[in-house]
Amino acid sequence: MPAKPVSKQVPSRGGIFSKFKGNIEAIAIGVKFFFNPQRFTLIYPKEYIKLKEGYRGFIVLRKDKCINCGSCARICPAAAMRLIRLPFTDPKTGKTRMKLWPVINYNRCIFCGYCVDVCPTEALYHVPYHDVVYETMDVMDLDLEEFQKEPEWDAEKLGLPVKYVVDEKMGLVKVRIKEEGEKQ
Amino acid sequence: MSGIIRTQGAQVGFNDLKLPGMWSRKIGKDLYEIFIGPQHPGSGHMRIVIRVDGDVIVEADPDMGYVHRTMEKLSEVRTWIKGIPLFERMAIHDACNVTLPYVRAVEKLMDIEAPERAKYLRVLLCEINRIAAFLYGFGIFGVFLGHSTMYMWPFGDREVWVELAEWLTGARLTHSYPVFGGVRRDVPAGFTDALRKAIRYMRKRLEDYRKIFVDNPVIRARLEGVGVIPKNLAIELGITGPNLRASGVKYDVRLNHPYEVYDQLDFEIPVFQEGDAYARVWQRVEEIKQSLNILEQVADWLDKHPRTPILHDKFWKTAPPLYKKIFEETGRAKLGAVYAIMKVPAGKAYERAETARGEISYYVESNGGNKPYRIRIHSASARNALVYKYIVPGHRVMDLPAIYGSIDYFPPEADR
Repeated sequence: MPAKPVSKQVPSRGGIFSKFKGNIEAIAIGVKFFFNPQRFTLIYPKEYIKLKEGYRGFIVLRKDKCINCGSCARICPAAAMRLIRLPFTDPKTGKTRMKLWPVINYNRCIFCGYCVDVCPTEALYHVPYHDVVYETMDVMDLDLEEFQKEPEWDAEKLGLPVKYVVDEKMGLVKVRIKEEGEKQ
Repeated sequence: MSGIIRTQGAQVGFNDLKLPGMWSRKIGKDLYEIFIGPQHPGSGHMRIVIRVDGDVIVEADPDMGYVHRTMEKLSEVRTWIKGIPLFERMAIHDACNVTLPYVRAVEKLMDIEAPERAKYLRVLLCEINRIAAFLYGFGIFGVFLGHSTMYMWPFGDREVWVELAEWLTGARLTHSYPVFGGVRRDVPAGFTDALRKAIRYMRKRLEDYRKIFVDNPVIRARLEGVGVIPKNLAIELGITGPNLRASGVKYDVRLNHPYEVYDQLDFEIPVFQEGDAYARVWQRVEEIKQSLNILEQVADWLDKHPRTPILHDKFWKTAPPLYKKIFEETGRAKLGAVYAIMKVPAGKAYERAETARGEISYYVESNGGNKPYRIRIHSASARNALVYKYIVPGHRVMDLPAIYGSIDYFPPEADR
């Protein structure tokens, strides 16, 4: 069934009494939330969000799976992924020849995840975090060695993991994730 | 603080009125020109040049284009799929709505249609985006009126919807969710339960908003009868979206030109008659309620139907076993390599959709290559911006933030 237009009217303004009532209502709800606030502020970096599986964070290459097809560099909308030519020795035949390998420049990356989705062998994957700080812009342009390592994530070392869950009464609720071996 | 700003203004030598943070100059007897914006004393990345006689505005001149990024031209040098993350930058918190007509236009040229499940998933994210965008607008509106509670609450509640969108797509704002022939991810396990909780929470929360903001006599006094857009002016200027419907025009793309599965869903299009800033607030409140209704129906549909492919057969039929295994396990539909080098048959297509701020339309022309020949975007905010010139004169300066906020103008979307 298609949508139907419905004519509506704003509530009437009412007299002096309804104005009084409106003011009291506004103050009452303000007071209510003053004593019972809905807070879910993240105390970063003492806490950090453990993001859900499937979050599009930083991208890491598994070199052994890469088949050098170059689809990731071709689909990249920001031209962050590019191909570099490096020698590769085949472990079976022992022959060395030049191959194209993807490297990423995080100055440009927009984390759309197209490269991960287009990779035919799942050689690329997302790590579930994005709060990584680099010292200079030069080091954000990774080389092949760097691209194979998961970026160093300080938040995990400094803070405790939390997650946000949707709650019917409070909207979002911050829940502390218990680590293994810790008492519930 | 204001003293510092005043000295800075004096150095520029363009500050006859000595207003904090604003340029002004005298242009006649009792007539001053004030530059509001583009650095945000009540206008985003745009400038409104107003001429005031005493406290009454006699002329207003909206000056757009501060965040113009040549999107239409950029799209011509990028392959088809790269257009999706590009156009998303128009309104990042409304990302699915603004990119959907582009995707649909290209699908039209390729003569394919997304599977039914993908259509429902698109509607799901569109409505989540719509609610989040309305709440964003409420927050900005609240702080323009000096109501800082109404700034914090909607931004906090918007986080619920952003969280859900992140769970669904993997990114908080720029989802890049619809692709040609479908969507990229299926709903994760447990998503619809959380969605239902969020719907119930939001319904309750709208009542809180009504008490503290919408029905608050102070807010009513500032909004009622302010910035009235008469029905004929709204039609003449081509205003769209909630602003048009608040002026009594029954037009919504979801109603008049239904796309995806909007013709199978049961929801109302609220229409208000008054056309003032207060009616526009109520319009958005009612639209949030209707979006919640839609989301409930979509959640029911998704619960009833098992996981089926979410990409068109043209792309999914040839998918290798690995792709199908990943889709079964995680719900992630991997894209074929064809997406990177895809060529779209020559032709022209026109598609539109209803975003949170109104109708957005795409004209897409292909010459058979792997890049678009021409893309023309007409976004909702660009059409709504014109209205300032006509409704602001006659009001006092203090009404300008109320009018600006109630139009819910979003500069990056207008400037493209």
